Amino acid sequence: MNARLRFSIFIVGLGLITAFIPYKQNKPNQLKPAGLLEKSMDNQYLISVDKVARSVVDEDSTILIIDLRTPEEYKNFNIPGSINIPYNKLLDKDFEGYLDQKKIKNIFYSNGDIISTQAWTLCTGMGYQNNYIMQGGLNEWYKTVMNSNYSGDRITARENALFETRFKARKIFTEMNSLPDSLKLKFIETKRKNEKKLDGGCG
Amino acid sequence: MGPLLPLIEAPLWANLLAAFIIGIAFGFALEQAGFSSSRKLAGMFYGYDTTVLKVFFSAAIFALLGSLIMNYFGLIDLNLVYINEYYVGASIVGGIIMGAGFIMGGFCPGTGISALAIGKIDALFYLIGGFVGAFLFAETYPFFAEFATSGYKGPTKINDWLGLSPGVFALILIIAAVGMFWLAELAEKKFPKPEITNEI
Repeated sequence: MNARLRFSIFIVGLGLITAFIPYKQNKPNQLKPAGLLEKSMDNQYLISVDKVARSVVDEDSTILIIDLRTPEEYKNFNIPGSINIPYNKLLDKDFEGYLDQKKIKNIFYSNGDIISTQAWTLCTGMGYQNNYIMQGGLNEWYKTVMNSNYSGDRITARENALFETRFKARKIFTEMNSLPDSLKLKFIETKRKNEKKLDGGCG
Repeated sequence: MGPLLPLIEAPLWANLLAAFIIGIAFGFALEQAGFSSSRKLAGMFYGYDTTVLKVFFSAAIFALLGSLIMNYFGLIDLNLVYINEYYVGASIVGGIIMGAGFIMGGFCPGTGISALAIGKIDALFYLIGGFVGAFLFAETYPFFAEFATSGYKGPTKINDWLGLSPGVFALILIIAAVGMFWLAELAEKKFPKPEITNEI
């Protein structure tokens, strides 16, 4: 048997083997259950509505507020500057670029805490970083930011600053959400963001 | 380090060192295989020397087999492998220009550098031409921008397009490659140019 024939048989044989081995995707970043448990034990991932309100007022660009409710609910009203990733589309490729990144804080919110906590667990388990939850969700936002009034005789400087932020956030929230739909939609359309790009190629 | 999972957290210097060593090995192998000779490369077009096909295809199928097998054993993350993005029109036009340049100049960009490294003057002018072309392209890019970015298909893989598993596609490609190797050797016998092949 000459070398050419031997080489051909060898390489086709290897090919036959690979044709039968199953293809699997290695996800090296995925957290093991123990790691996830540990991460969920400390409450570092909870962010109060007051902090979110301050970020809205400051137009903080180091955070991204993510609304997990349905698109209809989102269109109705949302926290200014937030984007909409409906919970049932959380694993959609279109949103991977927003979720799988290392630069900014992603703050999830929904009406209460349940959906945002589930989203936090999913994302953290997949190895995505910088996931946070707005504690209490929109219910807490309404209670604290939209409807709280200061009632007391004297106000401390700290409380004054807190309420000023709340009032400002309330104003922005009301203004943005009372825009006509045609204008509002311009702001809130979540564009597809490609998954993180890799550098490379050859010449 | 790249898609190799055990080394993924390797420090930057180790990555650069590995790239340097692989680069040297690549250039050395390229030169040793005779790829710094434009007549050998052009032989692919005329059929008297098909080393290019054999070398590149065997490199491709071995890399393919290696990556699939290593992926199976969890040693590699194929998501970290760069996949060229596919622009339909630009790929066709670019392929034609590249092919025409290849057969006229006798080098592809990589082998041109390899040939310049051993002091070939034609490679020097070939590379100057390449840089001038790249410069002109960059300067006139706004005129082509619309065409260059049309027909965007994203990073597409043939096996996804055909709906095959990567392993089955690898087998098909290997059979095709082996078939081509035999055909190529037949062509070498049919269009011999001993005055060139003996010399290089």
